[in-house]
Amino acid sequence: MKIKLSSIMVDNQDKALKFYTEILGFVKKTEIPMGEHKWLTVVSKEEQDGVELVLEPMGFEPARTYQKALFEAGIPLTAFQVEDVVEEHNRLSGQGVVFSTPPTAMGPVKLAVFQDTCGNNIQVYQIL
Amino acid sequence: MTSITPINYYQQQLFRIREHHFPLEHQVAQVVSAKQFIEQHASSDINLDSIAGNAFFSKYHFIRIFKRCYGRTPYQYLIEVRLQKAKQLLQSGLSVSDTCVSVGFTSPTSFASLFKKITGLTPGAYSKKSNFR
Repeated sequence: MKIKLSSIMVDNQDKALKFYTEILGFVKKTEIPMGEHKWLTVVSKEEQDGVELVLEPMGFEPARTYQKALFEAGIPLTAFQVEDVVEEHNRLSGQGVVFSTPPTAMGPVKLAVFQDTCGNNIQVYQIL
Repeated sequence: MTSITPINYYQQQLFRIREHHFPLEHQVAQVVSAKQFIEQHASSDINLDSIAGNAFFSKYHFIRIFKRCYGRTPYQYLIEVRLQKAKQLLQSGLSVSDTCVSVGFTSPTSFASLFKKITGLTPGAYSKKSNFR
């Protein structure tokens, strides 16, 4: 058994693809049309054979309630590791990304939380 | 680093955890420095005394604080760094015995056993699999 996929719920797959590739810098790996929605995954530019992130459509109504509750509490749906949190914060802020938590030290970790424009808070972290 | 007043539930939890579960800031800085020392000297003959000495801690206090920060002991982390390097060297085609020495192990048996524990494969099997691709 291997972990090859992880998924996040997004309110609009096309908007999500644009944000995750053009703003965050991920690379589209797979796009398979499936009627109203599609099977859509992105990967890290540095690890293109690594874990794929599924940009999952919000097709199940209770999921919307869950996503909203997480978002309002400021809780990240997932987290991505970066080399330098402050640098990423500056780069993304410069592109208009909104941070709910600016770079913050947590023991030997630095983290920050931003909004992905698709209904989620996402954390970036750097292990010192 | 920006200082913020918690504005949401997540930030409240972050600050609570930071206050109650992490060591003091200067101790974290010493542990981070020790971790970097391990990364830079992993293939050398370093031991806990030299790592703790570099971070200015007593040995046992150092182990405790390091584990609170990283969830593993300094020795476990040293092994992890050596094995990550070993994976790269095996992928590049270096022999198992040369890899063992290059990353700082003195016992091939211990190297093979730790490597299998972490990756699920012996160094030889890992090398074959990597170079078969």
